[in-house]
Amino acid sequence: MQILEKSKLDDFLQMLAKHQPVIVPTDVDGLSQYAPYQAQMTLLLDGKPTVSPKGIFLPQTEAIYRFKAQGKNLLIAEMENQQTPQVLFFVRHCDVQGIVCLDKVFMSPEYTDQQYAKKREITTIFALRCNGSKESCFCTSMGVDPEKANPAAADVEVYDLGDQFAFEALNERGEKVLSQAAELLSNQDNVILPPVPERKLQLKTEGLPEKLSTTFDAPIWNDFMFKCLGCGTCTYLCPTCHCFDINNKLRGEDGLKLRTWDSCMFDEYTLMAGGHQPRTGKKERIRNRFLHKLQYFYEKHQMFLCVGCGRCLTKCPMNIDISKFVQQVMKEESR
Amino acid sequence: MTKATAQDVLRINCLTPTVGVITAIREESSDVKTFRISSLDGLKPFTPNPGQLGMLSLPAIGEAMFSITAQEENSIDMAIKATGHLTDALHQLEEGQQVGVRGPYGNGFPLEYCQGKDMLFIAGGIGLAPVRSMIDYCVKYRENFGTLTVIYGARSKEDLCFKEDLFEHWPQVKNMNVYVTIDRPQEDWKGHVGFVPDYIKELAPTPKVAIICGPPVMIKFSLPALSALGFSDQDIITTLEMRMKCGVGKCGRCNIGSCYVCLDGPVFTQEQLKKLPAEY
Ligand code: SF4
Ligand code: SF4
Ligand code: FES
Repeated sequence: MQILEKSKLDDFLQMLAKHQPVIVPTDVDGLSQYAPYQAQMTLLLDGKPTVSPKGIFLPQTEAIYRFKAQGKNLLIAEMENQQTPQVLFFVRHCDVQGIVCLDKVFMSPEYTDQQYAKKREITTIFALRCNGSKESCFCTSMGVDPEKANPAAADVEVYDLGDQFAFEALNERGEKVLSQAAELLSNQDNVILPPVPERKLQLKTEGLPEKLSTTFDAPIWNDFMFKCLGCGTCTYLCPTCHCFDINNKLRGEDGLKLRTWDSCMFDEYTLMAGGHQPRTGKKERIRNRFLHKLQYFYEKHQMFLCVGCGRCLTKCPMNIDISKFVQQVMKEESR
Repeated sequence: MTKATAQDVLRINCLTPTVGVITAIREESSDVKTFRISSLDGLKPFTPNPGQLGMLSLPAIGEAMFSITAQEENSIDMAIKATGHLTDALHQLEEGQQVGVRGPYGNGFPLEYCQGKDMLFIAGGIGLAPVRSMIDYCVKYRENFGTLTVIYGARSKEDLCFKEDLFEHWPQVKNMNVYVTIDRPQEDWKGHVGFVPDYIKELAPTPKVAIICGPPVMIKFSLPALSALGFSDQDIITTLEMRMKCGVGKCGRCNIGSCYVCLDGPVFTQEQLKKLPAEY
C-alpha cells in the first residue's frame, strides 16, 4: 500500500490536478456535494455528501444532441463527448455500489448509452472505506461490503488511518493516477487497518424480493397513501435513481435536446398523451419506487437498486423510510 | 421473440435520431393519418419486425413511440392518431417534411411461434395499426400460415382505418376472411353493426392464435369471449402502450413490474400479462 500523510493531502490533490480535473466532496453554498477541486478547499472526509456522485455520470441536465428545424428541413448533430480524463475522489462504498447499479442500466448489453459510458471510461474513482456509520446507514443489508469497495467501479481504495491515508490501487488505471504523485507517497507493507464499525441499522433482507412479489395488493401500501408530497427529493438524492426525461431548449430555429433527471414520484411521469394514467396515485408511485429498488431490479440483475445510503429517509419531509418498510415487510413474514 | 440487435441501433448515442423525410401522407379516418418515411438518401430508415416500434420526432416539439404499420423496400409507415401536442402537430405536416426517426424497438410478434398456424386478428379503431404489420407479413408469406381471419371494428364508417386493405386487398387473399363492424347503424352502411366482443361471439371462431389490439374496453370484453371459445392464454397475444421517452430501457417510465414495455414488449401473451401487476 502507499501511504500519504494527511497534512499532504492538499499537495497531493494539487499534483493530480495538474494532470486532469479532480472532483472532491465539499460544501457548495451549504449543500455537501461533489465539485471540482481547488487549492485549499475544505473537503468533506467524514460521512458522505448529501448529493450523491451520480451526477458526475448522469448530469442533472445534459445535452444529447443539437438540432436546427427550419421550415421542412431538419439538421441533427451529435454532441461531442468529453474526452479528457478526470479523477473522482472519496466515494463511499455505498455510492460505489450505486455506480455499479447505474452501469447495469446505462451499459446494458442491448443498448449502451455512449455518453454515460464515456464518462465512466474517463473517470478514475477513488473509493473511501467507511470509518463510521450513521443511524440511517444500512448498506450491509443491501449487499454492500464496507470492507471492500466493489471493484467493478472502484479503481483505488483509500483507507483512513487517522493521521495518514493508505492507498491501494485496484487496477492499472488506479496505479497510473497514483504514480502522478509518487513523490508524496511511501510504500508500506502490513498496514494495520482500523476496524470498520458495525452498522447500527441492520435489516433482514434475505428472501426480500420473493417476499415482495406477493405484496402488490397488500394493505401495507396504504400507509403511504396520504403521506407522500410527491416532491421528488428522495429520487434526486438517491445514488441509484436513474429515471430521466427528454426536453428541448429552443432559441429560434436552433435547439438542444436535453436529458434531465426525472422522478417516478411525479404525476406526469407516466401520464400518456391521451390522458391515461397507469399509476394513478401516490400509493401506486411509492409502491413502484420501492418495488423497483427491492424486487424488479433484483429480478433482472440479482442486486438491489438501493445501496442503503439512507439519504432518502433522512431528507424526506414526510419521513417516509424505505428501511422501516423493509423491516415491516420482513416482520410480517415471520408472523 | 426477436429483439432489436445492438447493430440495428448502434450509433454514437442511442437517444439520437437520424433525419428522415415524410414522402407520403394518407388520411385513414377523421383523426388518423399514415406517414410514409424514408431516410434522407431515400432508403428504409431501419428494418422492423412486425409489431416492433419506432420513435418519431419533431425535435422542437417532442418525440413519441409509434407502432410501425407497414414497410416497403425503401420506407416505413406509421399510422398516427391525433391525441396530443406532438400528434396534432404531426397532423399539420406536409410531404417533404423532415423528421427524426430511431428504432426499431421492442420484441415484435412471435413469428416463429405463429408459423404454420391459423391466425385470428382482432382490432378496434387505431388498434389495427400494430396488428397490420403482422397481417402484412402473413399475407406476404402466405404459405407459411394457415387460415387468416380479421375481425375489425370502429365507432363509425368514418373511423375505419386502412379501408383499402379491409375492402379490396385482404378479401382477395386466399383463405383470408375479413369481418368489419361499426358500433351504430349508419345510413349508407350495409355491413355488420355492433361491438367487436359481440361480433366475436357471433362468429365463434375456433381456437387458434389470436392477435388482439384496441381500446381497453374492447380488450376487456373480448378476452372472456375468446376464453369461452377455448382460446388458450398462450395463444392470445396483445400489445401494450405506455408512456415512453428513451425506448431503450433507461429512462425508467415504461415499466410494468420488472418488464420494460420498450424492451420486453410491446407484445405480450395473455399468459405473460397475468403474471404482471395490473398497472397499465
Ligand atoms: S422525499 Fe418523501 S415526500 Fe418527497 S417524493 Fe420522496 S417519499 Fe414523497
Ligand atoms: S433508496 Fe434511499 S437508502 Fe436506498 S440508495 Fe436510494 S437514497 Fe439511498
Ligand atoms: S421508454 Fe425509457 S425505459 Fe422504456
